[in-house]
Amino acid sequence: MQILINGIISGLSLALLAVAFSAVYLPTRVFYIALGGIYTLTPFLALACLQCSMPGYMAVFAAILGGTSLSLCCEFFNHRGLDAKRASSGAHLISSLGIYIVITQLAVIFWGNETKVLRSGVDSVNSLSDIILTQTQEISFIVSGALLLFYYLWLWRSNSGLLFRAMADNPDEFALRGHSLRVMRLMSFGVSGFLCSISSLVVAYDIGFDAHGGLSSILLAVVAVIIGGRQSFAGPVLGAICLGVTRSLVMWWLSAQWAEAFTFGILAVVLLLRPNGLLGSRLRLEAAA
Amino acid sequence: MNYALHLLIYLSIYGIVAISLNIVSGYCGLLTMAHASYFAVGCYTYAVATTNLGLDFVPALVLSAGVASTMSLAISLPAWRLKGDSFILVSLAVQQILFSLCQNWTTPGAKPGTWANLTNGTFGIADIPKPTLFGMHLSDIGSIACLSIVMLATCLLLSRLLLLSPWARLLQSMRDDELASRGLGKNVRLAKVQAIAISCGMAALGGALYASYVNYIDPTVASLDESMLVLCMVLVGGSGNFRGPLVGAFVLIAIPEILRFVMIPDTVVSNLRLLIYGMVLILMMHFRPQGLAGTYRMD
Repeated sequence: MQILINGIISGLSLALLAVAFSAVYLPTRVFYIALGGIYTLTPFLALACLQCSMPGYMAVFAAILGGTSLSLCCEFFNHRGLDAKRASSGAHLISSLGIYIVITQLAVIFWGNETKVLRSGVDSVNSLSDIILTQTQEISFIVSGALLLFYYLWLWRSNSGLLFRAMADNPDEFALRGHSLRVMRLMSFGVSGFLCSISSLVVAYDIGFDAHGGLSSILLAVVAVIIGGRQSFAGPVLGAICLGVTRSLVMWWLSAQWAEAFTFGILAVVLLLRPNGLLGSRLRLEAAA
Repeated sequence: MNYALHLLIYLSIYGIVAISLNIVSGYCGLLTMAHASYFAVGCYTYAVATTNLGLDFVPALVLSAGVASTMSLAISLPAWRLKGDSFILVSLAVQQILFSLCQNWTTPGAKPGTWANLTNGTFGIADIPKPTLFGMHLSDIGSIACLSIVMLATCLLLSRLLLLSPWARLLQSMRDDELASRGLGKNVRLAKVQAIAISCGMAALGGALYASYVNYIDPTVASLDESMLVLCMVLVGGSGNFRGPLVGAFVLIAIPEILRFVMIPDTVVSNLRLLIYGMVLILMMHFRPQGLAGTYRMD
């Protein structure tokens, strides 16, 4: 039971990142690897603010603002231009990879390669019958759960959420009906940056952070999106929780070293046997292409 | 002089790997992130073959290429059904699985290179012998440089022969419109398997040459960073012809060497090099998607 709960909690924070990835991927089809750079940079921004004697809540706010702004800049200065040139998804992916490399290396140059922490001291522990939870795990659970709830409420209950889903469904028809693709694209990048920044801060507060963790985290999120179903808004959460639980079990029974191999093994199996994911539906060949 | 020869050897090794990646990315249109892992398969097979099986350079080279070509089925079979982002993800999965194997296939106390301790984990395999060719032991850097240039020239020739043949035109037609190629009765699945096997085999040759030159390998040769570096070479130089990958390899090997002569602290140089790679990738996609000397446009 303890392993299952640990898996669900880590799965929820991964779900936040997976939702951030799909918030850009679904409406724009941009494979947003640069999100890994934002994931890397946000805790460093928070740390820099804390070192400037800023109060904790202000540091968190400034870091989230920084991450969201950076995501908006990625769209404004990079993907919008490529989209105007009708660049392929490969070109978007490669340029996004370039942005990730630039952000990560800037982080290394300014803050170094060492692992850093956002909190000091030993974490307090609470018991719920035979389940033991740290205070950080509780914070992670509450923040991730609440944000996911708000995101899906916005998506399914608000007018802007409806527009967002409409753009993801058919961007051409969305534009033909007079809606601004540019504004909605900017919004999707903003939402993505916001969710990614919070996910990054939650994980950094728990286990610390360094300049090289962004890519592996974003790849895990991508795996969760693929497992859950990349055409579905709910798929990433299901995929992330499945992945979180599986990784916890692998770490318990085998070793943490084999967790990556298992994760990507599952990805390969899902892509081969069910390429549209657990919640995805089969598409006609023309639609899939 | 030794420094120039060392650069020449590295340029040859990465040139071979970039040429091999060009067959898959430039001619088949399949971007793969797993190439470093096949380079590593070549390294490890060569190391095990020479240290444990006692094979000479050429048989070990052939074995490396054969093992990598066989293992290439891990990405060529999924390529039957997947393309675009999905194929990139499968190749990434293969990359991570092979990297994990390199890191974890170890048993404490067992001899490195044996079945129980095939890769020796993060410690890697040391004391890999220098190449011996026709009874000559190539121990000095000059002779290894000559060997690497001969191998690069052979790979270039092989690649040129293949890519001027009707088979290459089938690959290009498959890249541009797979459905149309299948409609014309072409066996695109077999073509993909062949192209990826040749490409991975060639990458393994580069890996074997690397292992014989450096005399030591560890799992970092199979890391994702290495795959990205090789991919950058093909994207920066350009794909779809012979010149592009070589130009890419030259540019990306030359950049860090130029930085040596600029007054920048050594601790920052490697990060600055990666930063420049990233910026080059972004600028290339905006202003020259076909690369510096390529013909196939990524957009």
